[in-house]
Amino acid sequence: MSVLPYLLAAWLLVIGLYGIVSSRNLIHLTVCVSVCQSATYVLLLAIGYKQRGTAPVFADIPTSRRTVDPVVQSLTLTDIVVAVAVSALLLSLALKAFDHHGSLDPAEMTELQG
Amino acid sequence: MTWLLPIVAALPLLVAALLALVGKWLPHRAADVAALTVAGGALVLGLILVARTADRIVTHWFGGWRPRAGSFPVGIVFAADRIGAAFAALVLLLLLASLLYSWRYVEDEHHLYLVLMLAFGGGMAGFVLTGDLFNMFVFFELMSVAAFALTAYKVEEASPLQGAFNFAVSNTVGAFFVLFGIALLYGRTGSLNLAEIGLRLTNDGRHDALVVVAFSLLTCGFLVKAAMVPFHFWLADAHATAPAPVCVLFSGVMVELGIYAVARIYWTVFDGVLGEFQHPIRDVLLAVGCVTAVLGAVMCGMQRHLKRLLAFSTIAHAGCFLIGIALLTPDGLAGSAVYVLAHAFAKGALFLAGGILLVARDDIDELLLQGRGRGLPVAATAWLVAALALASPPFLGTFTGHALLDDAASVAGYWWVPAVIAFATIGSTAAIVRSGARVFLGWGERDDPLLSEQPSESAAPGEQQASLALMQGVTLVLATAGLVVGALTGLAARAVEAAHRFVDGADYARVVLDHRPPVPVPPETWHTTTLSIAWALVTFAGSFTLGFASLYRQRLPGAVTGALARGLAPLRAVHSGHVGDYVAWLTFGTTVIGGVFALTLR
Repeated sequence: MSVLPYLLAAWLLVIGLYGIVSSRNLIHLTVCVSVCQSATYVLLLAIGYKQRGTAPVFADIPTSRRTVDPVVQSLTLTDIVVAVAVSALLLSLALKAFDHHGSLDPAEMTELQG
Repeated sequence: MTWLLPIVAALPLLVAALLALVGKWLPHRAADVAALTVAGGALVLGLILVARTADRIVTHWFGGWRPRAGSFPVGIVFAADRIGAAFAALVLLLLLASLLYSWRYVEDEHHLYLVLMLAFGGGMAGFVLTGDLFNMFVFFELMSVAAFALTAYKVEEASPLQGAFNFAVSNTVGAFFVLFGIALLYGRTGSLNLAEIGLRLTNDGRHDALVVVAFSLLTCGFLVKAAMVPFHFWLADAHATAPAPVCVLFSGVMVELGIYAVARIYWTVFDGVLGEFQHPIRDVLLAVGCVTAVLGAVMCGMQRHLKRLLAFSTIAHAGCFLIGIALLTPDGLAGSAVYVLAHAFAKGALFLAGGILLVARDDIDELLLQGRGRGLPVAATAWLVAALALASPPFLGTFTGHALLDDAASVAGYWWVPAVIAFATIGSTAAIVRSGARVFLGWGERDDPLLSEQPSESAAPGEQQASLALMQGVTLVLATAGLVVGALTGLAARAVEAAHRFVDGADYARVVLDHRPPVPVPPETWHTTTLSIAWALVTFAGSFTLGFASLYRQRLPGAVTGALARGLAPLRAVHSGHVGDYVAWLTFGTTVIGGVFALTLR
């Protein structure tokens, strides 16, 4: 099996982290968090992938057919649900922060330090 | 009776969902009573569970998916040993205390606050009871999201937004690392059950890059929650801005859950396959714990915002908890467990006393509050009692935990570890003593330029009609519990027994997968050593002396204060409050820790 999906997952994680670290905009930052999260989707799906495997829905295929691993797919679904909750929360915080500071730059949030 | 097990976590979660649906139409007090009843009921179940785990590990397979002995476990299991059950009970006890305190404290959108608190508590209880790695991740995220929302509860102020944002982003990135680790382990073993993964890794015997990377990612991911240096930045921001009763749960149990997870995963999953590398693992975790303990104590002394001060004190103590785990011995683990218990009560009481100051005096800044706490004798008493408990005088407060840790470290050959623990205790408790004396007694100088300026909090409109009597009662009870718990020396022996069971991963796997009764643990006795009493006297005397002395720091020669200020400036600058910096530190820390593991675990 190809090593490419694993490299892609690692790349997405690193580029997402770079985005978070260098971001000047809270909404952009939230999207970077989602990019990191996509890395976990890719990794999970890659781990469950089987060459020439079909979707693990046995309603209309014989149970002997080779399918991809359904467990990682359900993990990915759960992961997506978590991501939605986190993104929604981060975006609403960003919105409120804009009300307070008139800016979305995390460098403008300077209340807490030291 | 195994149905008890999921109920402990499910009850708060179900009622949280129900309250979210109908809470809007319920009168405030009815919703309060419902939440309190649920927290109390779950606590009783948790305590029953603690009693029942004396000589067994209680397991429950969801939906009847109980595997036959030796076959592959498809289902999801909850498995509670003594330490897990006790942790769940502690979570629910603190939840009950916080809810009682919040009776009239948090009035805006009161039912949503209750929903979040119950979901937070239920998530934490589930996290410590589960025996499934992915289940652990789900509960981890559940409690995290509830905690993020609770941090930003006072959404009309600016700093809670910053605190919540930093908290949310740091912890979410930590959770990604955890999930990466889980995915790698699943790829290797095809299982998500802790016991089964451990068994398969041990039988496989390969400790290649995959296992080491998975171990590093899981450890670092959970250490973010545990607020270890350099992953600790979010904690101070989150604690400084969250409502006081929420901070009780943050400091008392949430941070400790990160350390619990590291311990649980190490002993169930990695102990078999990485067992021959105990030495490097111990050194790395010990180094992280010690740096955290020292840095937390130093930063604690530089704070004037009381909740932020307490937050850094939590970081210092969390470092000590990790030291106990890092020794990788049952005695060290038992020490941390007993320590967590006493610390949770004492630190909880301090946060609640801070909340009382906020309500009664409309401020949380040490210098601005100077002498204004004189009319609050109950809060003052609670503050003193809790400070005493944290100073660890012989046979009181955190003493038992400290003594177990000191002994475990000395036995393992780390004679200098007790000194680090004493430094962390003295540094952080001195700051608590200093601020208490300044606020409640009016002692000390008017100004101290070493203390860092923070935006002060004001009480939200709803908080004005808070019921002070109830709040003070809860605070005093918690503080007293924190002090008295150290006197129960019988606890130490029970904790050591429980720790022996906790660290036996093979036995855990047999109980969970083969449904065998666990190997009986021989009864332990525990005697205090002269060494531990000597250290207790040192920390006790040191905390109060340094605390009172630092009220008059200004009287030091100018050269000394100047040097101190210059020396501490870089440390202060590092805590920049910028979320990007925090994630950069997080990435850096994970790379370094992972790199060291990659070099040494081969």
